[in-house]
Amino acid sequence: MGLLRKLRFYLDSAMVVQLLIPVVFFGLFLIIPLAAVAVFPLVPGISGTTYSPLLLFQDPSMIRFTSTRPSVIIRQVVMGGENLTLIALFGPNYGAIPNSLINSMVVTLGASIFGLVVAFVMARYDFPGKMFFRVLAMVPLLLTPFINAFVVRKMFMYDGIISYFIHRILHLPYIIYVDYLAGVMIAQVMTFWPIVYLNVYASMVQIDPSLEEQAENLGAKGFRLFRTVTLPLSLPGLAAGAAVVFIFSLEDLGAPIAFREFDMISFKIFSGLRAAITGEVPPYVASLSLLLLALAMVAFLSIKKYVSLRQYAMVVRGGRWLPRVRKPGMIGAVLIYALILPAMLFTAFPQIGVFMYSLAERWTKTFPEGLTLKYFSEMVSNPVLFTSIKNSLIYAGSALAIIVLLGISTAYVVARGRIPGLGILDAIATSPIAIPGLAIATGYFLVFSRAPFKSTLLDPFTSGPWLLLILAYAIRRSPFTIRAVYAGLQQIHEALEESAMNLGASRWRTLATIVIPLLGLSILGGALVSFVYSMAETSVSVTLGGIESSQRPITYSMYEYLYSGYVEGPNLVAVMAVFIISIQLTVIVVTNFILKQRYAFIGV
Amino acid sequence: MVKVVLKDVTKKFGRVVAVNKVSLEVEDGELFTILGPSGCGKTTTLRIVAGFEFPDEGRVMFDEVDVTFRKPYERGTAMVFQNYALWPHMTVFDNIAYGLKVKKLPKSEVRERVMRVIELVGLKGLEDRYPLQLSGGQQQRVALARALVVEPKVLLLDEPLSNLDAKLRVRMREEIRRLQKRLGITTIYVTHDQEEAMSLSDRIAIMNDGKVVQVGHPREIYMSPGNLFVATFIGRSTALMGRVVEVSGENVKLDVGDGVVIKGRLARGYELRTNDEAIAIMRPEDFDLDKPKAEANELSGVVDLTMFIGAFNQVKIRLGSQSFKAYLDPDIEVRPGTEMTVYIRVDDVIIFPRRGWEEIEFEAVA
Repeated sequence: MGLLRKLRFYLDSAMVVQLLIPVVFFGLFLIIPLAAVAVFPLVPGISGTTYSPLLLFQDPSMIRFTSTRPSVIIRQVVMGGENLTLIALFGPNYGAIPNSLINSMVVTLGASIFGLVVAFVMARYDFPGKMFFRVLAMVPLLLTPFINAFVVRKMFMYDGIISYFIHRILHLPYIIYVDYLAGVMIAQVMTFWPIVYLNVYASMVQIDPSLEEQAENLGAKGFRLFRTVTLPLSLPGLAAGAAVVFIFSLEDLGAPIAFREFDMISFKIFSGLRAAITGEVPPYVASLSLLLLALAMVAFLSIKKYVSLRQYAMVVRGGRWLPRVRKPGMIGAVLIYALILPAMLFTAFPQIGVFMYSLAERWTKTFPEGLTLKYFSEMVSNPVLFTSIKNSLIYAGSALAIIVLLGISTAYVVARGRIPGLGILDAIATSPIAIPGLAIATGYFLVFSRAPFKSTLLDPFTSGPWLLLILAYAIRRSPFTIRAVYAGLQQIHEALEESAMNLGASRWRTLATIVIPLLGLSILGGALVSFVYSMAETSVSVTLGGIESSQRPITYSMYEYLYSGYVEGPNLVAVMAVFIISIQLTVIVVTNFILKQRYAFIGV
Repeated sequence: MVKVVLKDVTKKFGRVVAVNKVSLEVEDGELFTILGPSGCGKTTTLRIVAGFEFPDEGRVMFDEVDVTFRKPYERGTAMVFQNYALWPHMTVFDNIAYGLKVKKLPKSEVRERVMRVIELVGLKGLEDRYPLQLSGGQQQRVALARALVVEPKVLLLDEPLSNLDAKLRVRMREEIRRLQKRLGITTIYVTHDQEEAMSLSDRIAIMNDGKVVQVGHPREIYMSPGNLFVATFIGRSTALMGRVVEVSGENVKLDVGDGVVIKGRLARGYELRTNDEAIAIMRPEDFDLDKPKAEANELSGVVDLTMFIGAFNQVKIRLGSQSFKAYLDPDIEVRPGTEMTVYIRVDDVIIFPRRGWEEIEFEAVA
């Protein structure tokens, strides 16, 4: 009764429409497909049998108790007339499920430790060249689908740069070769650590200096101060960053493909879905997708508690303060320049390598050779590549239109609605950050290739995957815009809207004349970020995106050209990666320097 | 212009009862103030009248018409927000013209009315400026002009002067009073500043803890506070506890210990019997060094503490185990430790039952 009375008052036509847009969109294109992933394994397939998730645990390629290969091989070899020790790191292979879990845990731990160290140094110390460090830390996040891990593998081959450095520069009698699971771990830590760094750094600069000063005042210093005050207060950032790394690591495809680690959850789903071109997927795909989704959700939900702590880190905030930065001592300076800087340069190398690759004639030995621009012109003249670039621009642009509409509606309803249950909508709208794209791809395949969607525009087999790609991009990349608009709305005092309604303007008019004009920059900033990440989307693009060859997106072509044996393929892929990076750099410059917003990087 | 009536209005936020069964009647053309400490529910009450909050129970009526379910934009009220809520992307002119444009008035009329109100509030020449280019006082005037130009049925003011400096506040207060009387708009004014409330209101409602505790003219509220809360919230006050020794009609004698007996008036609406615990509330400014003509109490004690405030000398006088505050002539020097005698008229001492005292014991009293 009381609720109805309330609803009758707070729901006007504008509010109802703003509410319906996200509810319908997320319901149809996120909730239903994911529900299908959850339900499908329990429903008998065409053969009349079900493949329940429990069957996964009886499949030796999914899980087994002995490793199929040694994790490390050390062997004496003769190369160029020299006696050398070859150290080959492979990592174990206990089947897809343990492999993925071991990998994600190791990667999360590694990325967290390094990210935490860099964040602490950047947040608490001032030293010459800090700006360079700051830029360098962002380099691994530049989007280079597939080619990134490809270059990392080149670095870790027998004749790669790492072995060259150890043997030829340090003159040590060793050469290094990394492949399989061990390679996946290294490549992922190199790529994902800045996610932890950014989140922890944001937490650390929000800590009121008086909290640390009070602890020092009471006698805590050095590591004790860090352990008892700084670290606990940075925990929200650390938890958020670590959870995102865990999820990204689980669903990453680039590294498993590059390092030939085919026994991984993500690769199994990927290869299964690629078989979908024949119209039917192997029975384990849905079960594996459900497992992947469940793991991601556990990671996402387990940090919810910590992330709400973010407010408690800010409770004592009063007025502006000077950040607590100081000059490092002698030992500190040595550690920063001799240890952290080389490590950061090392993690930035894949992106640097992609640039070199794009300009090189060939890269078959240790270093790229020959300087040429011919691959840039070939990218434009090659009809297959050009079409896929054009397709991706169209898909990302169309997704953007949906994202802007969805972003404004969702953020507005969540920020301004006065009806119960909006917390659920908020959680659903944020969840695509944590939901593996492969689970979405599986869900889309299961739902839209059969009745009642069969032979409609949504059916990837009759109409091609173009519409599904646009919808998937919109769903997966909408959180960036929703968050940006929501943050913008929090900056706008609600009284600005109330005064308009008070003077007789309806909610629609208030939206059009007050809210949207004042939100303009937030919408633009969020939309640009969404656009870039739509362009670089891989999970749905390389699975469903291949169903109709004329509709392939750019990331699908990057995968194809890298691994189809085409000699000049990697060079062309490097050029495409440079193209995506340049779009991303433009967006970073525009959002940071023109819109004056913090580039909304990944975080929960 | 309308009469505004609130009937048993209740609003909860989660478990907190922000507004608790509030009933008010604001007469046509009246300047009615809701006064109370922060968190007492006064702003929520105002927002319920504007339609920004929906009451869980109760009704809001404008001239016999039930408007409880009407949206903010269907009510014809105009509100001046505490932070002014001027749109930063519109000029002064566009801000003020907004309400008229919404009503789809012809351009020429919009222009004429906006210019007239700009002149009325003294903003001439600033119409093309943006809000951020204006001083706090000017922004305040724009907010007021924006509300007045639509000729609202009810003008709502939510602590409109709290962001101005002290001198400007006094000037704007007079201006609001003058404009309101001239235009005759029914006005509800919310503030926590009692001086502001006293000086400009026709009537005041005092709110505490979500409830209206007293409604009346400023003088009536000051002179005969209806309960302990109002007595201590309005003006300065000082208190002495004791036990009732005699009640005859309105007159009460209170034994405050050490053989001292104070005579005072029984607070209106209360009853006391001999031996009841009671409390005498006095205004520090009512104490005198000379014996007045009217019947008065004579209180002698040792000076505990003196503070020179400027307009007066605040003296804390110890009376047995209790002490009280008196504001005395600043020209007379009083030293701590000396004995002194002060007088207060019996009519200036109001006696309340002691029940409920602990909950509202303010620093202003202690």
